[in-house]
Amino acid sequence: MKRKILTTILATIIFLTGCWDARELNELGISLVIGFDIEDDKVLITAEIINPVYSSEEAKGDQIQSVEYVQGIGNTILEASRDITLKFDRRLFISHNKVVIFGEEFAKRGLVKNIDQLLREREHRETAKVLIAKGAKAYEVMGISSGVEQIPANYIAEIVNNIKYNPKTGDVNFIQFLKHYYHEGRHPVAGVVEKKSKDEINKVGNDGSDKDYELTTLGMAVFKGDKLVGYLNGNDTKSVNFILNKIRGGIITFPTPSENQEAENLRDFSSTVIIENKTKRDVEIIDNKVILKAKINLKTSMGEIIGDVDVSNTENIKKMEEACSKAIEEGITLAVKRVQEEFKVDIFGFGVEFHKKYPDKWKEIRDDWDQIFSEAEFQINVNTKIIRTGLINTPLFKIKVK
Amino acid sequence: MKNTYEKVKLSYNQVLLLIIVLRLILGLTYMPVVHVSKGNQDTWIILLLSIIYKIIFNFPLIYLSNKFNNFNLLEFADKIMGKFLGTIITMFYTIIFLLANILFVTIFVEVLDVALFPLTPTWFNTVLAFITCAYISYKGLNGLCRFGETVVPIIIGGTFFLVLLGVNNFDFSELLPILSDSSFKDLNLGAMNTSFRFADILILVMITPKLTNKKDLNKIFINSTIYSILMVTILIVATQITLGVEYTKHANFPFLIYTRTISIGEIYGFDSLYIGIWIMGNIMKISAYLYFSTIALEKLTRKNNQVFIIPVSIILIILTIFIKDREPILPIAGRLNAIIQILSIIAIIIVPSIMLIVYYFRRKRLRNT
Repeated sequence: MKRKILTTILATIIFLTGCWDARELNELGISLVIGFDIEDDKVLITAEIINPVYSSEEAKGDQIQSVEYVQGIGNTILEASRDITLKFDRRLFISHNKVVIFGEEFAKRGLVKNIDQLLREREHRETAKVLIAKGAKAYEVMGISSGVEQIPANYIAEIVNNIKYNPKTGDVNFIQFLKHYYHEGRHPVAGVVEKKSKDEINKVGNDGSDKDYELTTLGMAVFKGDKLVGYLNGNDTKSVNFILNKIRGGIITFPTPSENQEAENLRDFSSTVIIENKTKRDVEIIDNKVILKAKINLKTSMGEIIGDVDVSNTENIKKMEEACSKAIEEGITLAVKRVQEEFKVDIFGFGVEFHKKYPDKWKEIRDDWDQIFSEAEFQINVNTKIIRTGLINTPLFKIKVK
Repeated sequence: MKNTYEKVKLSYNQVLLLIIVLRLILGLTYMPVVHVSKGNQDTWIILLLSIIYKIIFNFPLIYLSNKFNNFNLLEFADKIMGKFLGTIITMFYTIIFLLANILFVTIFVEVLDVALFPLTPTWFNTVLAFITCAYISYKGLNGLCRFGETVVPIIIGGTFFLVLLGVNNFDFSELLPILSDSSFKDLNLGAMNTSFRFADILILVMITPKLTNKKDLNKIFINSTIYSILMVTILIVATQITLGVEYTKHANFPFLIYTRTISIGEIYGFDSLYIGIWIMGNIMKISAYLYFSTIALEKLTRKNNQVFIIPVSIILIILTIFIKDREPILPIAGRLNAIIQILSIIAIIIVPSIMLIVYYFRRKRLRNT
């Protein structure tokens, strides 16, 4: 009996160790998105915290916001987050952060150097998405929710996740950002978030709230080392995602290769839906010149045809495939050229490929890689396969032969 | 008080599982190999190469243990070196076991402090660990190995379950280019350094006389070396191809960070599974070293080892708290590595090699006795 009592006491002790570290839910301010800015040469943290009163029965009908915003300022991230405790009655709890937004100025000063605390502290999740507030402070893009989601943080997280439907956005988490930062022969990229004025029709919400703005994650932020140097537009972002092999879905729109020459002049467009994509990057040295190469194999489904083309004919499908491939090739070539000329930094990872393929040569040129990259020739080969045509074959306006 | 050491008989599986988990825990905790040599994408080659060095460096101990398979390390040291030098060697290995114990407990407590209970005082975590380990040690080698038979499959299974869950985050290109950024010398130095980290051969040669079939010793040594290093290699590769080679070096507890990156849809928090299996493994490791520290003391004092379990635990608790509350252990990797390396070289290579040389000259006389 004594032994059983002793065993029970010992077993209980194991579970008691948590007492020191116990955190009661009613003492925590659960943050879902956090923003970092530089203000007066100090770090300004803005956290969006869930308002637990909002979801309670009593609160229904009252004008209570779903979230609260708190700010803290300090010389370091830690000091700024502790500053919040002087103004807010709960301790900031950031484990549920899905998104971290950095103001443009913060990103320009160097991300990796300044986020030490986030990766040193166990509360922050390494899988949180990294977003840069384009042309703005982080707190300026927070608090906007023009979607169905009541909580703005969920709204932002969901539009970032929509990369699977539209690859014109950057989806990068902390681990991926750091991996690319540490790679020799590659510079990191990150997602962006931008505040945009809404069209007139959407401005007034049902609850009468200010719905003047919406957020968009269109584009990508380009870094040199850990410092923000600029942004890519949506089409260039899609092209970068193609080369980085990060395309998981989305559409390709291209001019329809019509049988009727007159119709082609109208610049009709068709769209294919991406089913699967595989990209292989390569680098070659020919006559002492570095050639950057990308080979893309794409499987798609016909999503929309505007134009005079009958896809029940194999030859026409082939024409559509070629037109789709050509559009991708043009888009990617343009994006690579823009990055080479405007930013002069390798965000595609061609340097990594060079290192793998020519490790000895790499040791000689590693310090000059960005210069070599920006002057290198780029070659692309896209192979599109349309493997589905949808529920209809010929376009609706075309009368089939009786 | 009954002696738990004298009448124990252990099967091949029991000892194999014990030795495997003692090594696996090293990889699960702080992956020292990512810091050796150049610590680049060729780390997995260094690990595989270390199998060969481990066999070479452990040869003196394994050879002597085969020759004196009715005696443990401390007993055959007496036989070979004589009473006086034998006692000095026993004292040396007692200190090694105690130091190893302090090291494992401080690392264990450090991970608990950082990853689980930052506000819980160090003394409490240390006391708690030692209560559990002292109880297991008190139950003896048989209890420890039977505990291992239940726990080790859970640890190994759980670990590989975690590796499988992270497959979506794998990027094997992180391991390229192979063999181009490290020289032959780098790889071999790294492999040698790594082979010193696995000091658990000392536990094996302490267990040898308790094996049901003593011919299993070589099989256990080879198999445990291959299995455990393969397992650690898989852990390190999974971590490097998820976190990247450089960030793995920055992390104090790389596999813990690896488990934090795992998600299935909206489900996170797989690090708690890791912590669970990691605690079980560490309890086994600390218990084993605590037990053999007391066996060494038994040899020195001719008193039953159980007498020493509580006093030794108390001394270790005090020393651990003293060290742990003064400075971090793992982040100051250079000093830690140097201490482990020097002690391992002395305990695994130098002392056994001296014993082997003496045995060679005295073998005829020793055979007659």
